[in-house]
Amino acid sequence: MQETFNSLMMGFSVAFQPQVLMYAFFGCIIGTLVGMMPGLGPLAGISLLLPATFGLNPIVAIVLLAGVYYGAMYGGSTTSILMRIPGEAASVMTCVDGYAMTQQGRAGPALAIAAIGSFFAGTVGVVGLMLLAPTLADFALRFGPPEYTALLLMGLFVLAYMSGGSMLKTLAMAVLGLLLGMIGIDVMSGYTRFSFDIVELGDGVGIVPVAVGLFGISEILLTAGQAEPPRVQQPTMRQLIPSREDLRLSVGPIMRGSLLGFMIGIIPGSAHIISSFVSYGIERRLSKHPERFGKGAIEGVAGPESANNAAATGAFVPMLALGIPTSPVTAVMIAAIMVHGILPGPMLIQQQPDLFWGFVASMYVGNVVLLVLNLPMVGLFVNLLRIPYAYLYPCILAFCILGCYSVSNSMIDVWIMLGMGGIGYGLRKFGFDLAPVALGLVLGPMLELSLRQSLAMSGGSYGIFLVRPIAVVMLVLGLLLLALALKPLLFKSKDWRSKVGLDDQTG
Amino acid sequence: MKHIAFAVIGALAAAGVHAQEVYPGRPLTMIVPFPPGGVADITGRPTAAALEKILKQPVSVANRPGAGGAVGNAAVANAKPDGYTLLMALSSISVIPEADKLFDRKPAYSLDQLAPVALISADPVILVVHPSLPVKTLKEVIALARKQPGELSFSSSGVYGALHMPMEMFLHAAKLKMRHVPTTGGGPAITQLLGGHVTMTVGGPAAISSHVKAGKLRTIVSWGAERHPNYPEVPTFKEQGYDIVYYIWAGLFVPAATPAPVVKVLREATRQAVADPDFKSQMAKLNSPVQYLDAPEFAKYLDADAKRLAAVVKIVGKVGG
Repeated sequence: MQETFNSLMMGFSVAFQPQVLMYAFFGCIIGTLVGMMPGLGPLAGISLLLPATFGLNPIVAIVLLAGVYYGAMYGGSTTSILMRIPGEAASVMTCVDGYAMTQQGRAGPALAIAAIGSFFAGTVGVVGLMLLAPTLADFALRFGPPEYTALLLMGLFVLAYMSGGSMLKTLAMAVLGLLLGMIGIDVMSGYTRFSFDIVELGDGVGIVPVAVGLFGISEILLTAGQAEPPRVQQPTMRQLIPSREDLRLSVGPIMRGSLLGFMIGIIPGSAHIISSFVSYGIERRLSKHPERFGKGAIEGVAGPESANNAAATGAFVPMLALGIPTSPVTAVMIAAIMVHGILPGPMLIQQQPDLFWGFVASMYVGNVVLLVLNLPMVGLFVNLLRIPYAYLYPCILAFCILGCYSVSNSMIDVWIMLGMGGIGYGLRKFGFDLAPVALGLVLGPMLELSLRQSLAMSGGSYGIFLVRPIAVVMLVLGLLLLALALKPLLFKSKDWRSKVGLDDQTG
Repeated sequence: MKHIAFAVIGALAAAGVHAQEVYPGRPLTMIVPFPPGGVADITGRPTAAALEKILKQPVSVANRPGAGGAVGNAAVANAKPDGYTLLMALSSISVIPEADKLFDRKPAYSLDQLAPVALISADPVILVVHPSLPVKTLKEVIALARKQPGELSFSSSGVYGALHMPMEMFLHAAKLKMRHVPTTGGGPAITQLLGGHVTMTVGGPAAISSHVKAGKLRTIVSWGAERHPNYPEVPTFKEQGYDIVYYIWAGLFVPAATPAPVVKVLREATRQAVADPDFKSQMAKLNSPVQYLDAPEFAKYLDADAKRLAAVVKIVGKVGG
């Protein structure tokens, strides 16, 4: 403990160097701005900035990129809450209740709670990273394909808790998402599925263009179809501050979200995306008033936002402790330190203590910077809503197209986004909930890959899921969850769904 | 006055026709068909920076990732052949059209749509096993695989990927069968092995070095034509009696119809670029060995490599059904 403390102090002495501090600040600002661009998420942000870091020293480079990373995580929630445009996949759930709050004139509290939740989760993540990195990293390695499959199945069962509408419609939307996830090169044989000779579809359909289209573009279309434009909001100062009740309701979701996010985040792979979905499902299940979800429940903002920020920090555990790039984001960060001749690996913490501890300390600093930066800016952001929709929406549309295009310089992504906007519009007219589509699309390809990897490992035997303890525990938990969710369907007993009626159709 | 104007326009037109005199007259774009941070990207950026100094024009790097490099390769193959669009491709450039053929797909591009300019770097790959596996040499690996046919497993960067091809070469040469667990990249392939979920994998010298040093992975054999300078103790397949060689390389290409004088300028610029001290130190930091070959030699190298890989794709295709 004493040793950790001394190392951390050494880290802070690095992080508080004016140059490092300045870059942490810059990173957070750039990240927040990037995250606010529709379609541009953390990965796009740090990828675009990577070449600029080649001339910096490695500590500054990684501090800057980390700032961009969690700045973008946070910035993504701003557009989700204000305009229903997810900046990145993890913000999809924030769109649902965050935007509903905005429509009720409560954008201020939603943004503030997102900032506070992110701050808390980020801090929990850093503490976890600092104290547990080496221990957890070895545990994380035990997550092979079978364990991953079990985890993703659990994520799929959460679907049952995600939507307030009819179960049938929810499942139909999830299937649509899973089907979209089938597009692309088959991982085991190399065969291309449903690509219609479009080379870009070989990698499948990206979640970002789909999410921006389904949520953002469809919202613009729906608004345009209204007889009279929605009234421009004029929030007063009072309305910007979360009430005591808001804070009380958010404490639990923030704590649970942080813990859950961190645990999912350390697992190698891209599973951190599902942390926000799982958190939303859990909060809805635990809530005494699940019917409020989807209509502006602050818990639906607090939980997923905390979970995705904690997961973002958790993802650094295997990267720093083992030197393995477990997700696209950490792969770019590893490249950033590799160009300086530092080879990340299991010995990184011993060989480059100032890099590791400077990084950890700068994450504390970065979280504070983000909070200080964003809480006062809530007022400024909310003022965006004062812009009449006739001017605001064309701008948003233009930014959506720009953002989507710039992620991989691909026009196909723009067409996907626009097409999904049209589909989303139609589905919402018929009262379908769209979050399950996003979850299905995120889970589908990962689940398929890990399931088929598991079967490749075992030579085709499903027994592999029964001989691995972690996988067994997760599968049993998942089945219990599923049974609980199916109970009302099977026994037709009254649950909250029927109490509130099945007419909750807003997505 | 009118005459002068005509003369000016005439001179401009002439300059346009004699492009070789002014090339490069505007900024160039280097397309990297992989995401930032990958081998192509971290080779491409220092190359672009060095070219910039010599060509006296900005050379911007644009990542066009997708479908294992097919998207970016196809973009350059179909680009205007004026010398302003370059491609930093990896060895997979010849595998993609072969795989397209195998599946009767409309090919994204064909190899003859691209003209090689120079080979920039090449690195052999190395076979690594989990240290808990009771084998230290290639002979022992083969003996173990014979004893448990179809029981051992390897992870790769993806089917037909840069780390799958060499493994299939080995399995075919030694007449072995193993389980193939494809992943989504070089990093995840190593992660699977570190976690003990597979028996072995193939890795680039830089990617595995810290894990080998920490004793988390054990090196067995290299696909190099000779021993790797950073791994002098690791024998090659050739020494062990197997005629298999495999390098992951990165090379510069332009669209095939690019005029010869323009290609000449680029070849000359690249020759100077790889001698640039900044470029050299940058590549040394990345542990990426500069392996420069000018266009004619590179074309020969590419041809041999493409033939070798096409043969492997056919073998895999048969095995995969």
